[in-house]
Amino acid sequence: MQQFVNTVLGGLTIGMVYAAFALALVLIWRSTRIVNFAQAPMAMVTTFIALQIIEAGHSYWLAFAAALVAGLVLGAVVERVLIRPVEGKAEINAVILTLGLFIVLHALASVVFGNRYRSFPAAFGIRGLEVGDTTIALTGFDIFTILAVLAVMGLLVLLFRFTDLGLRMRAAAFNQEVARLLGVRVGRMLTLGWALASLVGSLAGLLIAGGSLVHPGYMDAVVVYGFVAAVLGGLDSPAGAVVGGLLLGLSLSLVSGYVGSQLVALAALAILMAVLLLRPQGLFSQARERRV
Amino acid sequence: MVLVAACGAGGRSDDDGDGGGGTTVGVTDDSIAIGGTFPLTGVAAPGYSEIPTGAKAYFDFVNAAGGVNGRTIDFTVKDDGYDPTKTSSLTNELVLKDQVFATVGSLGTPTHSAVVDFLNDEEVPDLFVSSGSLGWGDDPESRPMTFGWQPDYEIEGKVIGQYVADNMPDAKVGLFLQDDDFGEDAEKGVRQFVDDQVVDVQRYTSGNTDVGPQIAALQAKKPDIVLAFTTPSYTALAQLTSLTLGFKPQWYVSNVGSDPALVGSLLEKFSEGAVPGDASALNGVMSSEYIPGMDAPDNPWVQLWQKVWDQNGGQGELTNYRIYGMSWAYTFVQALQAAGEDLTREGLVDALEQVGSSLEGPNLAPYRYSEDSHLGISGMELVKLQNGKGEPLTKVLTTDVGDAEIAEDDSGQADDAPPESGIPDVDPVG
Repeated sequence: MQQFVNTVLGGLTIGMVYAAFALALVLIWRSTRIVNFAQAPMAMVTTFIALQIIEAGHSYWLAFAAALVAGLVLGAVVERVLIRPVEGKAEINAVILTLGLFIVLHALASVVFGNRYRSFPAAFGIRGLEVGDTTIALTGFDIFTILAVLAVMGLLVLLFRFTDLGLRMRAAAFNQEVARLLGVRVGRMLTLGWALASLVGSLAGLLIAGGSLVHPGYMDAVVVYGFVAAVLGGLDSPAGAVVGGLLLGLSLSLVSGYVGSQLVALAALAILMAVLLLRPQGLFSQARERRV
Repeated sequence: MVLVAACGAGGRSDDDGDGGGGTTVGVTDDSIAIGGTFPLTGVAAPGYSEIPTGAKAYFDFVNAAGGVNGRTIDFTVKDDGYDPTKTSSLTNELVLKDQVFATVGSLGTPTHSAVVDFLNDEEVPDLFVSSGSLGWGDDPESRPMTFGWQPDYEIEGKVIGQYVADNMPDAKVGLFLQDDDFGEDAEKGVRQFVDDQVVDVQRYTSGNTDVGPQIAALQAKKPDIVLAFTTPSYTALAQLTSLTLGFKPQWYVSNVGSDPALVGSLLEKFSEGAVPGDASALNGVMSSEYIPGMDAPDNPWVQLWQKVWDQNGGQGELTNYRIYGMSWAYTFVQALQAAGEDLTREGLVDALEQVGSSLEGPNLAPYRYSEDSHLGISGMELVKLQNGKGEPLTKVLTTDVGDAEIAEDDSGQADDAPPESGIPDVDPVG
């Protein structure tokens, strides 16, 4: 029983991180209709920035904030400098570009930050809650993770549904020409979309790093799982991304605990295939497939 | 496969033309070219990347004293990042382009598995693989050029298995294993003695850092002792996850993953002192030792390594990983001396088979080298870690793979000291 509870809780917590990552992918998808594979190394770079700040003796929260700001800036810079020139061409160009960026950032991080495993501190305790004489695998940092991702999801829903800015961002993503005619500064909206997505990605990077080990490749699996989670949720829906992340985290944790850790990656791909075959628009997408 | 086989055959016929006495590729009157592949970057780099720096320091120390039979040792290190495909191309480079005489110390089970047959086909001596897989020496007939060095994982499993069976006969035993040869060989050894005591086996996949589900599954079976055959990063992750889950068994961690300094440094920064940030992170954990290490600064071998590192080392301090590299470098120098002035690849292998088991070095137990076995050190002592020091739980115990008995070592290997010069003096064979 304790094993089941702990495996489920572990799955939900890691699922929340996948959810955050899926949110970042969904954001860029919504604003530019491309999947940003460089999200993982971008988040890795900002997490390493945080680690450098912590190792220089500053507080965890300063580092946390700095990483998020760095994420915001990095996202904007990547959009302005790299993605802008291929805009208006086939989407595949931009996707390939993000794959290239993936490799470049990896290599740069290895040079700048080194290639070894390093421990990353957690803001809250890393001991599980004690209930009676059993310990439950829910640490203070896990609770923080869950709350942080829920808060981000809530804020994004508010932004897209209820603000003028969100409406303009959606319009710019949906049809650039019409949006332009209506007076939306499409370029700025795209930059903002990338910046926000990169910020959310940085958050995911910080959350998965907390109380664990980081190295330049530590986010690579997360981009795959985040992508599966986003597809599960329909690529278009922030709530779908979160539910998809949780479902995926839970399934993978159960597979790992009860079947075998060697099957985790396989299980993720099986889920991806099942979703694409049975419900290609995702669990939560409102629109039928949209031609892009 | 066909292509590789063809290359191998071509190489051999060329070599046959070199001269009657044997192959001398890589050897000149004043130098010997050797090489090896190591993970200098990537997930396996922590600790392991220091091994070749230790070996190089010792070779430089020997070279400064005139080398072996007037030849200096020229050691080329290639970075494979623990990626078997890279190991293959880099080993090709070492053998075909750099024309090394032998490969020495190449690291890793999955990585070296990719090249071991190529090296044997090319008849390149493949010495002292830095890994405890049985594949490096249990079958010299099919791999005549390959020699192991450290105790294999199976005998480590046997030694701790017997200890648990004798001293904790009622304990429930859990196994936490890396999902490859490392875990498999060790499990084989452990189960010889405690098969009926094992209540659960969990395996982790290297690369997936979330070991929560595995530790939770172990915890559910309430083992009294968990035997972990893990690399250092996963030792740290397992300790950390156990802390989160409130799981407190007695741990035994394989010598592969129990370097207190490295694991301590990985655990260092976790949350407000919840984990001690130094070598005391593994206090109370059981492990094994087969060469003297940093925890014994007064040991004459460690004093020699310190001197070598001070004179010839690069950046950084002497560590257990550098000592490991120096230790097999010492064995290699002994092998060269035993092979004599007229150095050939065949002669080197013959010499190791003939005198290998009597070589006196830092190893606590003798090597098993003979015509029938190319496996390395035959035993170890069990220790309990306390503030980075291993406190002995047993005498040095020696054994072999299969159902060979475990016995206290009577060779006196553990008590020998290096010669004054720090350079071995082995008589050439025949």
